[in-house]
Amino acid sequence: MRALLEGIARGAEGFVELRYHARTTRRISVRNGDLEESSSVRLTGVGVRALVDGTFGFASTSDLSEAGIRKALAAAQGAAKTAARAKREKIVRLAEGALAVGTFPVPTDDPLENHPLEEKLNLVLSLDAHVRNGAKEIVSSSVMFSEFEDEKVIVTSDGASAQLFDSKPDIRVIAIAERDGDQTMGFSSVGVTGGWAELLGRRAPEELAESAVRRAVDQLSAPYPEGGSSVVVLNPELVGILTHEAIGHTVEADLVLGGAVTADKIGHRVASDLVTLCDSGRSEHLPHAVGSLPFDDEGIIADRTVIIEEGILRSYLHNRETAARFGVEPTGNGRAFTYSDPPIIRMRNTYIEPGDTPPEELIGGIEAGYYLSGLGMSGQADSNAEFMFGVREARRITGGKIGELVRGVTISGNAFQVLQSVDAVGDDFAWENGSGYCGKGQPAKVDAGGPHIRCTLTIGGRQG
Amino acid sequence: MNIEGLIERCEEGLEYARRFGADRAEVYGEEGRKLSATIEKDDLQLSESHSETTIGVRAFVGDRVGFASTNDLSRLEEACRDAVVLAKASPGDPHNVLPEPAEIEPLDGIYDPAAEGFTEEEAVAAAIRMLDLAHSIDRRLILGDAEFSAEVFGRALANTSGLKASEQGSIFTYFALATAKEGDLVSNFDFQFDASRSVSEIDVEPITRRACENALGSLGAGKGKSFNGTVILSPNAALDLLIGLVLFQTNAKNCLKGMSRWKDSLGKSVAVSSLTIVDDGRLSGGVASSSFDREGVPHRKLPLIEEGILSSHMFNSYTADATGTANTGHGSGSARSLPGIGPTNLSILPGEGTKEELIAGVKEGLFVTRFSGNTNPVSGDFSGVAKAAYLIENGRLSRPVVGILIAGNAFDALTRISGVSEDRERIYNFTLPYLRVEGVSVTAE
Repeated sequence: MRALLEGIARGAEGFVELRYHARTTRRISVRNGDLEESSSVRLTGVGVRALVDGTFGFASTSDLSEAGIRKALAAAQGAAKTAARAKREKIVRLAEGALAVGTFPVPTDDPLENHPLEEKLNLVLSLDAHVRNGAKEIVSSSVMFSEFEDEKVIVTSDGASAQLFDSKPDIRVIAIAERDGDQTMGFSSVGVTGGWAELLGRRAPEELAESAVRRAVDQLSAPYPEGGSSVVVLNPELVGILTHEAIGHTVEADLVLGGAVTADKIGHRVASDLVTLCDSGRSEHLPHAVGSLPFDDEGIIADRTVIIEEGILRSYLHNRETAARFGVEPTGNGRAFTYSDPPIIRMRNTYIEPGDTPPEELIGGIEAGYYLSGLGMSGQADSNAEFMFGVREARRITGGKIGELVRGVTISGNAFQVLQSVDAVGDDFAWENGSGYCGKGQPAKVDAGGPHIRCTLTIGGRQG
Repeated sequence: MNIEGLIERCEEGLEYARRFGADRAEVYGEEGRKLSATIEKDDLQLSESHSETTIGVRAFVGDRVGFASTNDLSRLEEACRDAVVLAKASPGDPHNVLPEPAEIEPLDGIYDPAAEGFTEEEAVAAAIRMLDLAHSIDRRLILGDAEFSAEVFGRALANTSGLKASEQGSIFTYFALATAKEGDLVSNFDFQFDASRSVSEIDVEPITRRACENALGSLGAGKGKSFNGTVILSPNAALDLLIGLVLFQTNAKNCLKGMSRWKDSLGKSVAVSSLTIVDDGRLSGGVASSSFDREGVPHRKLPLIEEGILSSHMFNSYTADATGTANTGHGSGSARSLPGIGPTNLSILPGEGTKEELIAGVKEGLFVTRFSGNTNPVSGDFSGVAKAAYLIENGRLSRPVVGILIAGNAFDALTRISGVSEDRERIYNFTLPYLRVEGVSVTAE
């Protein structure tokens, strides 16, 4: 396929980017002991982007023959020509970057295909049973396993030519508890870039089931908090959520150009000097983060980008088009979910660099506040960095000690104000957001994490 | 591929599945061609063209089932084998059944042959129309994101019970996401969506105008007030705050699994009597209108809540069999997935009075254009940020406010609706009015 795409790209007029992507997704889903789904979905095709008259056109086809790919190329060039007549600000050039050449295999010694379907099915069934037997209050359980196996070839007419083999498995566990008509949900998950051993090595599966059970059951007796501003410690998972959702999206260069709050803020202080925030295609500090990729879908090597350095905004996240517009190098953030998605600016592994305070000291310094772990049902953030997240597990901190659980906690505020309020950063680190997807018109597998941090934000409570 | 070709591939798939050892099987095919033009940051971003055919195979071995799909038709045989292999490795379930053939009445108005000739130029022109309109309304507006797309598609299904179904469709969808910016002030964004099944009914103007006006209105928002009281939800906010709960609670699978609080509530009051919610897979011009569902079961009109009384859950063939209930034709999903359960065109029927009349009846309250938060579908607890929100004082919108959290319980909210507007808006496959809800907790930061 690589030779075929190289041949087509060589003969093409103008800039073209050809991407073959074959993905097999396998899913096993069990609820209350019943198999809900055992499936295998193969999605294969070629996506073609052509730049004509300073305008991109994109076409995709599931027809893998040379004639089919050439037809898609013609469609992409035709679409670009049509669009060029209406586009106001033309793309003057694409930024030069480190173009990927060669073959990049998945980082695992234990490939998923070495493990038969029965082994995965048995794990899912046993975890589901483990949840239901976990406590007498549990009324419903569900466990989902999914894996992606990807093969990609990216060829551009200006010299990228690379092949990637990748796999990303994950497990998600849900427990529903009930007492006196009151129902609560507990969730836990794990996801990695890698194979079977890396998935099971990150968190013991039984521990996943037990934590989901504990989270559901504990909430049953928990009171609601009072609302207002509070000093809090965020765990690495929630630091990752804040970093990705509320900061990361506002520094995606397409959103910056679309009026995000970070426009014109490069070189300005946007956070406490304890905060260094990055996005990387490599798995920094700990291996197998889900957003890891050797090169992006524009064929650019995906390296580490320092977004905020000791509180100062240093960089946005770019593709080749926005990098040229800003006069910088592309950061390797052009990503596409499937062959039929055009590459757009996406995060990879987004995190805050660890500091030098042990996590227990972060908590020890708080007279009255909260220890907040993980994302609840969901969260939302705007391009002005205003956010609202449900918190999965919130505990009061009183006199420097973690105490009572409270339920239904939401946090909100402006993420940059929250980062300004950071007065201590933990010396620990974890990747904790590998099982989910980031949505931006198309999904993306990303990861996010960091150390524990201490900051001030608004806790949502209930009036009257 | 034409629709006849797709039907043939489905039947071919049944043969393969049988040959690999399936006792029963279902093969569902989808083919589509799509053109689209997207606007980003106030300019045309990209023009796209896609074509794809996908086949999904459900194979049954005894009462065990496996599913495989492929969009590479040279691998159809392999997908059929995979489905059988997955079935054989799976535990059984007596409710893994296929629907029997039933008469499917063709549905008019879902396929416009003129859509076949719709061009890339026309898609680009429609997107540019949205952009020009936004700029003509106010120079502070940014059309951050907008898209116009045109799609023609075919669906075909065959199963070993002798069910055969096929149809063609066309759909034009368009959305606009607008933000207003003045100096350092950035408004909340507003998102609006609409669709048309025929070329002649395409109209991008109302949604563009609405998104722009909502973005402008929220510019320069100030601090709000904390209170417990009246909130008016826009159709968009009602969708995000309440409808997810209704869909979760009426999903027969969630009832079967003990996750729905409404599992035993048929015939009981779950909402105020002014609330009627209907799902209609044959709605004229509906985004989700089609003659049959993902399993080949005919679509029909089904009230879910009638004057506040729960009147039905939504079933596919699995849940219908497991509960001994009639299948309501709510098998949902694409050829890339097993049939799930989902709504078709879901509407809250119009109430009395305009949106302005709903507002006029409120002495002090909050008007919410968009809800950025979440509702727990199990407990009903919701909390989130009220976006593009306005204080209501003495019967009118007095000023935009920012940083407002609203919280409460969606089950309670359904019983505290004090007004349903006659004007409604479409968001995706939902047609919803403005709703006035009492007893909501409002917290100003």
